Amino acid sequence: MSGEQAAVSAAPAVRPARGWRAPVLLVLGVAAACYLPFILTERAIFGVRLSNMQLLNIGLTQVNLMMITLLGALSLNYLTGIAGLISIGHAAFYAMGAMAGAVFGTQLGLPFPVVLAGSALVGAATGVVAGLPSLRVRGLYFVLSTFALHYIVVFMLSEYQFRFFDVVGIPFEEATLGTFVLDTPLRWYFFLLVLCVLVYVGLRNSLRTREGRAMMAMRDHELAASAAGIDVRILRLKAFACSSAIAAVAGTLYSYYMTNVNAEFFTIDFAIQFVAIIIIGGMGSLAGSLVGAAVWLLLPAVITGFAAQIGSTDSAFGTLLTESKPQLVNLIFGSLVIVLLIFAPGGIAGIGRSLRDRLSVRVR
Amino acid sequence: MAAMLEVEGLSVGYARKGLALDDVSLVVPTGGIVALLGANGAGKTTLIRTITGLLPMHNGRVAQGRVRFAGVDITGMAAHRLVRLGLAQVPEGRLIFKQLSVEENLQVGAAFLPRGKVAERLEAVFALFPRLRERRRQAAGLMSGGEQQMLALGRALIGGPRLLLVDELSLGLAPLIVEAIYQQLMSVGETLGTAMLIVEQNAHVALEYAQTAYILDRGRIAMSGDAATVGASSAIADAYLGLAGEVPADV
Amino acid sequence: MLPQVLFSGLALGSIYGLVALGFALVFKATDVLNFAQGMFVVVGAFLAVTAGTQLHLPFALTLMFIVVAAALIGAAIQALLIRPLTGRSMLSIIMVTIALSIVLRALIEIIFGPQPRALTTPMPTGVFIVEGVRISQLHMLAAGVSWLCLGLFALFFRFTTFGLQMRATANGHEAALVSGINVDFVNRVAWAIGSVLAAIGGLFLAQLQLASTELEGIGLLALPAVVIGGLQSIPGAIIGGLLVGLIEQLASSYVSPRSADIFVYTLLLLVLMVRPWGLFGQRELGRV
Repeated sequence: MSGEQAAVSAAPAVRPARGWRAPVLLVLGVAAACYLPFILTERAIFGVRLSNMQLLNIGLTQVNLMMITLLGALSLNYLTGIAGLISIGHAAFYAMGAMAGAVFGTQLGLPFPVVLAGSALVGAATGVVAGLPSLRVRGLYFVLSTFALHYIVVFMLSEYQFRFFDVVGIPFEEATLGTFVLDTPLRWYFFLLVLCVLVYVGLRNSLRTREGRAMMAMRDHELAASAAGIDVRILRLKAFACSSAIAAVAGTLYSYYMTNVNAEFFTIDFAIQFVAIIIIGGMGSLAGSLVGAAVWLLLPAVITGFAAQIGSTDSAFGTLLTESKPQLVNLIFGSLVIVLLIFAPGGIAGIGRSLRDRLSVRVR
Repeated sequence: MAAMLEVEGLSVGYARKGLALDDVSLVVPTGGIVALLGANGAGKTTLIRTITGLLPMHNGRVAQGRVRFAGVDITGMAAHRLVRLGLAQVPEGRLIFKQLSVEENLQVGAAFLPRGKVAERLEAVFALFPRLRERRRQAAGLMSGGEQQMLALGRALIGGPRLLLVDELSLGLAPLIVEAIYQQLMSVGETLGTAMLIVEQNAHVALEYAQTAYILDRGRIAMSGDAATVGASSAIADAYLGLAGEVPADV
Repeated sequence: MLPQVLFSGLALGSIYGLVALGFALVFKATDVLNFAQGMFVVVGAFLAVTAGTQLHLPFALTLMFIVVAAALIGAAIQALLIRPLTGRSMLSIIMVTIALSIVLRALIEIIFGPQPRALTTPMPTGVFIVEGVRISQLHMLAAGVSWLCLGLFALFFRFTTFGLQMRATANGHEAALVSGINVDFVNRVAWAIGSVLAAIGGLFLAQLQLASTELEGIGLLALPAVVIGGLQSIPGAIIGGLLVGLIEQLASSYVSPRSADIFVYTLLLLVLMVRPWGLFGQRELGRV
């Protein structure tokens, strides 16, 4: 794993009962996470110049977008991996977030924090509505209802966009937190870093509560959970509300970051990317979401790097790399999902776990 | 006497669980009728699944031992090939095709026979169970429990098996109907010389018809011998009392 | 205007019904909701481009090429991707079909380039007018071939041993296994047929429009079609397809073209909420 991934992943990884190692790792992680953006903007580490290739062609903007995607992946992993509810319409909540941002921010001109709070509320409400079919249907039928919901919400967004704005899209103003203006990628980076850590720690802690454990019980065995006196139906709606609130906030952040949003962004592929991320990272593992999001970030960058190096030559492979880059990224991404599903259903986090177990057994 | 079915030192486990069968050996002689008894969870279903090739479907695997059918090693062989070899099964819960008609159910069982033989075999089954002939066009799922059990039996017999595995035939049926179906089963055994392995929780019924019996308790063979001896022993009560804490009504 | 809309709705609906039938077959045989069915339509379209436009094969050979290649692709996918996942969670299986559609799309765009391709086949493209309704010969042909395929499959299921085995397998996997059916083989054939039906749909859609990966969205309409008709019901899939075709054409003529999909997906959501077993399914089977 490359340095920047380790940096981001170490920050929230507070593992209990490791003696001195946990605090040291925490400090190192925080330090690395704080130094990372300066590496990426100055293209140098401790004064030593780094080539684009050595930085894997990654810029701070990509890291920021990864963190916004990570929020979506975390919320979906919470819903699917932990509460056991499958949604393939998660882009719908992003679209709701974009719409809420447009109404509260662009149209009403409310301050950015208020817009975010409003978007979370709208998201939670949408989540409850989206979760309603789960009271009636299960399994495949429920998955299909999230699929239908996706088309309906995105249609609403496009109708809204064409009614109040135009084909170009919905413009968003600069986000400000009091006097702190989010006008550079660097400022966005620290804002998003704090937000991601908060969401991660919040979700992690929520799993340790009575309701969190009940949720996992519900995923593993619905009847058992009902027998233990848990109202599964309410719990399901709560999980949906919580997950979609986070996804809606991510959608608002995405809109502000892009400064212009079009309903056409939120395709079914956009939704599927989140499912792919949590499968690559590891279903039910919040840390796995980070790994998955990192793969999602690194893959296109690495291929661009390759293309830059090989593309200058006249070889057929070089032309393929330069001309079909997005297709190549999709090809590798899709194949990775298939291979992992067949050979490592726990995702990369699962592979990591089994390696660790094997190592610790050998040490003893 | 040549053995139709030989199970030798069979140990079977499911993913992430302990062994469901531990060193089980069992023999069904040619033309013989053998009862396999035991409480819920004793491993009867696992043994049947192993013999009939359904184990992979339930994520189980053979850890040790082998199964031989008419001298051929069939351990791990695919389920459909076993049926073609002549090892048929009346599964627990009957598993008939509810949406197909009675006749279609039987045709599915006869699908691997040469085309010319199907009609003849169909007649033979109808002769055995006249009730099925009356209902041949009806959807199988709409029949009574006893009729469905007859259909499952007919579907297993239509291919002319050399060995028939009968799993929990009495489940959910009235005693009189159970008695009637067993009578028919026995007459089939006598006329065709089909060997049978009868798995029953209802020990009384099975012991009445079987020549030899095995008692399975927590994955091991607790006792075996001729049916009368096994029936009279205290092991049978122990096997049921020991695990599930419930005594079958007829013991 | 209305007869015109009804005609094109039913004609398009016949193609949807064909694709939906393939989708329902795969679902009934293997319990897999194949999200790649839309991409199978695209594969069919580009198989037609390869055989007809690039290799200049005669039309009869083009047809054979499409059918054989699509069948092989479907069977290979069952063997390589679906079979290893037997017994896994529903999400894994759904996701593998979604990932497959991503991979197929990428491959097609790499091989054929992102530009849409026109299909050159000797299929009739003329129009004749009956009482003011423009009847496109291609639409008629597409509908005719779709109904012919549907009829052939109905006969196949009703009167052949293998068709009976497929129906039995759809009725219960374990029951099929204990009855001596080679369930794995039946499943492979179901995938092959599903893929062929989608490919034939793709051939017609590519001729009506253009061959491009955009056709995936049209192919995916098989999904609501099947659910609206009843996920477990084969005739339901066909009727669902017709219904979706009609709704699409009515909505785009009388409301707006952009709203066409929404009417379909809203109906899907309503059916899921009110009658999950579909308009023509059986109640007991509606809940999983």
